[in-house]
Amino acid sequence: MASDWNDIPDEEFRSTFREWVDQNCPAQLRYMRKQRPLFNEVAEWYHALAAKGWLAPTWPRQYGGMGLSAAKHMIYVEEWGRLGCPRIPDHGIGLVGPLLIQHGTEEQKAHYLPRILSGEHVWCQGYSEPNAGSDLASLTTSAVLDGDEFVVNGQKIWTTLAHCANWIFVLVRTERDAKVRQKGITVLLLDLTSPGVRVRPIENLRGEADFCEVFFDQVRVPMKNLVGKVNEGWTVAKSVLGHERIFLGAPTRPEYAIARLQRLADARGAFEDPAFVSRFARLRLDLYDLGSAFERYAKVLRAGGELGADVSALKVFTTELYQRITEEMLAVAGEEARFADDLAAGDVEIDAMNLFLDSRSPAIFGGSNEIQRNILAKAVLQLPG
Amino acid sequence: MPELMLDDPDGTLVMLRDSVAGFAERFPGAKAMREKRGLGGATDPLIWSAMAEAGWIGLLLPEECGGAGLGLREQAVLSEALGRALVSEPIGSASVFAATLIGGATPGAERSRLAAGIVSGDVVAVPAWISGAKPLVVHAVSDNLALSGEARFVDAARVATDFLVVAQDAQGGMLLSVPADLDGMTMSERAGIDGGAIATVSFSDCKVPTDRVLSRANSSEDLLRQAILHTRLALAAELSGLASKALELTIAYTSDRVQFGKPIASFQAIQHRLVDMWIEADLAAAAVGNAVEALQSDDSEAAQLAVLAAKARAGDAAFSICRRAVHLHGAMGYTDECDVGLYLKRAINLNAMLGQPEQLRLEFVERESGVGRGRTYG
Ligand SMILES: Cc1cc2nc3c(=O)[nH]c(=O)nc-3n(C[C@H](O)[C@H](O)[C@H](O)COP(=O)(O)OP(=O)(O)OC[C@H]3O[C@@H](n4cnc5c(N)ncnc54)[C@H](O)[C@@H]3O)c2cc1C
Repeated sequence: MASDWNDIPDEEFRSTFREWVDQNCPAQLRYMRKQRPLFNEVAEWYHALAAKGWLAPTWPRQYGGMGLSAAKHMIYVEEWGRLGCPRIPDHGIGLVGPLLIQHGTEEQKAHYLPRILSGEHVWCQGYSEPNAGSDLASLTTSAVLDGDEFVVNGQKIWTTLAHCANWIFVLVRTERDAKVRQKGITVLLLDLTSPGVRVRPIENLRGEADFCEVFFDQVRVPMKNLVGKVNEGWTVAKSVLGHERIFLGAPTRPEYAIARLQRLADARGAFEDPAFVSRFARLRLDLYDLGSAFERYAKVLRAGGELGADVSALKVFTTELYQRITEEMLAVAGEEARFADDLAAGDVEIDAMNLFLDSRSPAIFGGSNEIQRNILAKAVLQLPG
Repeated sequence: MPELMLDDPDGTLVMLRDSVAGFAERFPGAKAMREKRGLGGATDPLIWSAMAEAGWIGLLLPEECGGAGLGLREQAVLSEALGRALVSEPIGSASVFAATLIGGATPGAERSRLAAGIVSGDVVAVPAWISGAKPLVVHAVSDNLALSGEARFVDAARVATDFLVVAQDAQGGMLLSVPADLDGMTMSERAGIDGGAIATVSFSDCKVPTDRVLSRANSSEDLLRQAILHTRLALAAELSGLASKALELTIAYTSDRVQFGKPIASFQAIQHRLVDMWIEADLAAAAVGNAVEALQSDDSEAAQLAVLAAKARAGDAAFSICRRAVHLHGAMGYTDECDVGLYLKRAINLNAMLGQPEQLRLEFVERESGVGRGRTYG
């Protein structure tokens, strides 16, 4: 194995990674209809990656990661998508790992990181609450210190995959009267099998239950599960996502959708209609230009720079392009847009409706597009108010 | 919220709206829609007969064959109200389309039987006229007719007692009512996006008695065109009602939902969106109203245009208003528990029925000015 992946030329890394993934990612898991498969459904792939040492691309090598630079990580993510590999429950890899590596104690790192890699701990993210969505700082789930344990009460919602996770990292309020609401928030690692935890899956528009409500009733969490300092959880939580913010704006979803649109349009003879061709061309060039924009931010990362607030532009554009492409799919489907299930297009089935419904959510999660626009208005355009 | 504005000298329209509101309390639309999905998409006979009891099924049937003798104004108001209430039974196909075909059929015993049965709810006559891979054809064999071919996009097929089939014979199109339990008939269902099953019904040399013929060549084609016209109007009205209600729900939600210490509807970004949605809903209601008026005039060409415009406008409005409604509900809008998602799904279904907006708009300009259209697909 290479001593340092980052010393290998990009294209060599790409082909090495691609070849192995293509050979080892099980065929039946490629291009899964589910956006969010459960751990059990993709465990085989998860363990294969772990055995190879390729499960945690960004973690430093000393913790069992690949230690990839932002540039190499982007290649990893690109090839993953291009090969149609399924999304694995990645809150442990993508969020808890970086959280602990930056802010955890040595003991926490030694305990939790290996258990993420082995799949023993499956994590979920407990930020949003019924009354704290876009306005996350208004969260009220409380933690009160009692001896050397916190006692947690309250509720989280929209917690992706909580029903297949056994751990959750939660933002809790430890000080109610803080003048600035962002103060008084703390990050805890909480064992979902603790007494007093209840998880209720919520069915989404596509008829899948991939997010949940999580209720806490007098749940006791040992002091040693605190990450960072008490009342400073906001800064801790905000610092976790660094260059990964670029992936919220990745062209992956629209790329996939436009390929499906093309197949469907081909099968329906839509390319013989100049009006369709003209609309298709617009979508195609939107995607093309999104690629250029993405590349501009990627260059910054490759040069070792950091992302600014302007990267929000990518998230807005890609999620809305994804929506426009899937809307066009329903238009091409004509009367068949009445069906819930997939549409036959030659020898393949096109999941037009599934994609259309799925495209509703990325504009909401990861900071809704209105919130992204607010960020751009303030931090980039520096508009008054 | 935008609503059809039509003269209502004797209060019939108000009464219709009230009766739908009362019905929706007994059979809440969203609940019924979820239950229907659970039942594999079958129309609930209880709901259908309650609708028949209310006098809504076959509302367009002429009085001489037992109908209410009401017209398209009443149908539009009824459909709009059903759309608002999210009553998802196939009123467009199994009432408006069916009643137009039956009402215009050659008078006789079969027509009378169907008309009386539709009104009482004992007959569910479902149009099956869109040919699939195998065209619908019919020919005479001794005393009977033999029907073959495949009909697509058939609503409520499982509860149908009769299919209203338009099949080709040597002379042209023949309209006949086909018993739903015929030998040689098979049915395959697919889930519709709004929970109702949509069937493909195949006939393989099915024997149909000749007294089931409702109309023959020439008049059948006219009847079909008439049925499409009426149903497009009804769908436009239903879509307009859906759009208006989805907007209303969204205004209520965003006025109630507090983030950053304020109702989110107090943010101008959201206010402008809601206003844009309202403008579209308002335009849709106006377009439907215009179509109703045009259908009452003697100018049938103007009526055709107005109906095309209304269905295109209301379909676009409903689809796009419902998409934004979902978004403005945040993650809540992305759940099955929240009703706006059901409005979106219902809007998708009705918008795709009998022509999506672009197809209708192209038909409009072609009719109006002979501007040729490109290939149609889908
Ligand atoms: C599929 C999915 C998965 C998710 N997974 C997780 C998870 O694993 N863990 C977790 O903690 N959370 C998760 N979330 C929750 C997500 O973070 C929230 O949905 C998001 O923060 C928005 O909050 P909300 O849903 O409460 O909407 P709200 O904040 O109530 O917003 C409603 C609408 O108002 C708009 N709006 C809000 N504020 C403003 C403003 N100031 N100006 C203009 N418009 C505004 C929004 O854009 C939105 O359209 C998930 C959500 C989805 C859809």
